[in-house]
Amino acid sequence: MENQIFILVVEDELEVMDALVNDLEEFETHFPIEIANSAAEAEQVVQHIIDSGSTVGLILCDHVLPGKNGVDLLIELQNENKTKDSRKVLVTGQAGLEDTVQAVNKAHLNHYIAKPWSKEALHDVVIQQLTDYVIRRKLNPLPYMSILDAGRLAESLRDNPLTDH
Amino acid sequence: MTTFTKKQWIGLALGLIGLIAPFFFNIEGLSEAGHIGLGIFFLAAVFWMLEPVPIYATSVLVIFLQILLLSKEGLIFSTPTDFYNPDSYTAFIGTLASPIIILFLGGFVLADAAVKYNLDRNLTRILLKPFGDKPKYIVLGLMVVTALLSAFMSNTATTAMMMTVIIPIIARIDKSDPLRIGLALCIPFAANIGGMATPIGTPPNAVVIGTLSNQGINIPFGDWMILATPLVIIVLFLTWLLLLFMFKPSTESIQLDMSGRFNTSGNAVLLYLVFAVTVLLWVSESLHGMKSAIIALIPVVVLSVTKVITKEDIRKLPWEVLWLVAGGISLGISMKNTGLAEWIVTSIEWTSFGTITMIVAFSAVAIIMSNFLSNTVTATLLIPLAVSLATSGIAGEGFNLIIISVVIGMSASLAMVLPISTPPNAIAISTGTLETKNMAKAGFVIGVFGIALVTLYAIFYWPIMLN
Repeated sequence: MENQIFILVVEDELEVMDALVNDLEEFETHFPIEIANSAAEAEQVVQHIIDSGSTVGLILCDHVLPGKNGVDLLIELQNENKTKDSRKVLVTGQAGLEDTVQAVNKAHLNHYIAKPWSKEALHDVVIQQLTDYVIRRKLNPLPYMSILDAGRLAESLRDNPLTDH
Repeated sequence: MTTFTKKQWIGLALGLIGLIAPFFFNIEGLSEAGHIGLGIFFLAAVFWMLEPVPIYATSVLVIFLQILLLSKEGLIFSTPTDFYNPDSYTAFIGTLASPIIILFLGGFVLADAAVKYNLDRNLTRILLKPFGDKPKYIVLGLMVVTALLSAFMSNTATTAMMMTVIIPIIARIDKSDPLRIGLALCIPFAANIGGMATPIGTPPNAVVIGTLSNQGINIPFGDWMILATPLVIIVLFLTWLLLLFMFKPSTESIQLDMSGRFNTSGNAVLLYLVFAVTVLLWVSESLHGMKSAIIALIPVVVLSVTKVITKEDIRKLPWEVLWLVAGGISLGISMKNTGLAEWIVTSIEWTSFGTITMIVAFSAVAIIMSNFLSNTVTATLLIPLAVSLATSGIAGEGFNLIIISVVIGMSASLAMVLPISTPPNAIAISTGTLETKNMAKAGFVIGVFGIALVTLYAIFYWPIMLN
């Protein structure tokens, strides 16, 4: 289970969680999905993923959660070295302006998805965010070309080329 | 440190045993230095095949072991023996700055700057225009442009760029149209084939030229092109026909919307100029006599003096490819000087084969090996044998040193059956547009007619050109 890129979904409402995970199903072949119902659980899951030698590529996070809220969780993860590069997306209908500003400024929020979402839009966001992750981490893009944005990954190969041998 | 797979552990163990074993056995007809050379050759071959360490790391290891165990300044041969006159260590480290390496450096700098200023993509845009909108001619156009670029840039970098061109096209084509597969295959195949065309096209060419230069044979840039380009053109054309036949397009026309314009900044214009001048000087060596490695310094000097390429660009050059080639050339030095290559050659009964059989055999072995191994490694392991065969006279009159070396070099580039055969193949497969079996079928046919064509050229065309 080493060197995998995980998608982490943090959501406390079971039905919403189910819907999200269902919509993300086709990414699971390349990006295993982990779920958490609260910020505290999310922290544990992240720790577990890191300890097993993998990374978190994308966090889809609800704002209103029991205990610590989603924006505070994202800020915390932004300040951790291991999750600094993880792409951070809020999936919410209830984050106020102030929280959202905080998320952008302090958690370097990468995207905001308003509930209810459409499957296509969600897919597009996930593809673009994970493509960004693979390119920024200078990972070998080949294993991900069939599922992510192949054009952008091929373009990244030009900057950071594989070589003849 | 990474953890080793089972295959890598086996490789590590076998390689080390291979290095040490010749110290404990006395092989008839092989000098002491030959025993050591055999050990190093064994280690290199196993390490390159099973890759317990990266292939470029094996190359520097080879150079280091040769210096330690075979050079005048090493641990064993401080004075010449009756059977072995040791080279100075500078002969081995010198391969890192040999003319062919400098030629490649020049090529790298040009290619890197071309990518930086988008010259490769803009050329593609212009060159594709005349091919219209019929799928079969678009495929031809893509192949011609890819081959042309990969003759001067790395096959892999060319493939990556061309993929950015065809991915949007593929996305618009109906999923059931076999044209999608044809498009995704034509790029890596053309890149593999185009690399044969010039000395700097792909590393196996460097191994051929470097090894021949150790034999005192200089192959000018233009001469290589005269030998290789006709083969490239015919293989490219046949591959085009094959792909059209196997993956018959059902779409009537496709739109290429390649917008963009040439970068006209001072730096970019200077690059265009340097690129053109360098290539012109390379192909016209027979007119002015200036060696291609010296010409290769023109882009290196001009582009760095004018800061068209910066320190960061220089750091990004694929230095490990130069290590790989240098290690290959270095291994060839001691295979010859220790009498190892000759021993290997004399232990096989060659006289029973005719010249043609041997050409076919070398071509086939090279294609088979390089389908599984790095093309450069394949050339490195086979060429010293061919050199010994030719120079020892065992193979008879018709067995020309240059021809057999070129046969091996070209054949190493004609292996494209599997995703692992070449990096361009790996890129194509990873797009998910085609299945491995599509690649394997087409690649197999190309391999077979590749052997036939290389043999025909080796018998009929190259001898005329070399005389």
